[in-house]
Amino acid sequence: MIEVEMLFYTGCILAILGSIATVAGPGVKDPIVRTFNTEIAAIGVSLIFLAYNHTLALMTFVAATAVITLVLLRAITRLEEMGADV
Amino acid sequence: MLVPDFVPAITASFYIPAIYVGIIVAFIGLMGIAIEKRDIQILILTDIVGLAMLIVVAATGTDLAEALILPGLVVELAEILAISEILISREMRKIEAKNGNDITTSVFPLPLTLDMEVLTTAPNFIVLIMLGFGAFLTGFTGGAVAGGGILLYVISRKSRGLPIAVIDGISGISGMAWCLWIIGFLLFFLTPELWLLSLFMAACGLVLKVTSKIGLIGTMMREEYKRE
Repeated sequence: MIEVEMLFYTGCILAILGSIATVAGPGVKDPIVRTFNTEIAAIGVSLIFLAYNHTLALMTFVAATAVITLVLLRAITRLEEMGADV
Repeated sequence: MLVPDFVPAITASFYIPAIYVGIIVAFIGLMGIAIEKRDIQILILTDIVGLAMLIVVAATGTDLAEALILPGLVVELAEILAISEILISREMRKIEAKNGNDITTSVFPLPLTLDMEVLTTAPNFIVLIMLGFGAFLTGFTGGAVAGGGILLYVISRKSRGLPIAVIDGISGISGMAWCLWIIGFLLFFLTPELWLLSLFMAACGLVLKVTSKIGLIGTMMREEYKRE
């Protein structure tokens, strides 16, 4: 039996851990690693939405996160390839 | 406590921890921004602050939260898109100023040639289904579904170089959809008896708006990566 409280507190812990990992985790000098670490926090926020039963917001959030990751990766690859300081 | 009766007890009990989590996450993200110096890293960390904003809004826990989260997401997406464009063009200008005009920027470092038959045959069908379903849904979700369809189509096409007229056309449709949305919203307040008409105007405007925006992102990505 999955309790709603369990989802909510798991989401909270994941959000905090993910943000710590993004700011000061191992290997965050590499912007791609940093982008992937934001996904942990994003999963936490998704679980919080799930606990609150925000269906529409959850769907849109998943789609928007995917698009944001695409945009960030595009910016990173272009900047790296131009030889900029990333 | 000023909590109305129709709010479930469990939602009310989540309020305090959710607010604290939002504040903690925002604090961590802002500390990271304060420490970091390079622009692209700061852009990634902005994402974390956006997540903190979403947690705080979600803590409201009613339909109001859902109504506030959707525009927040769209604004965050547009902001990240715009700032990444600005960063790229600024770096380009810097490099061009340094080595003259003879540098070729903007090619994906690896040769990305996906030559699979399913990429040329399946998308047309899937895109038709997604566009139809998106038009049926209308509103924000419909726009996201239809835009996902266009994104899939654009990414999977092999031929490159969408004519510039198409991009202009997409932005033109986007502007008209915006007008449709505003007129629908205005009618909603001026003549409340026409609520059904204004609801449909706003919903159709929004579906076109979101679809065209996601389609534009797809066009841009294709221009980047499908260069041969």
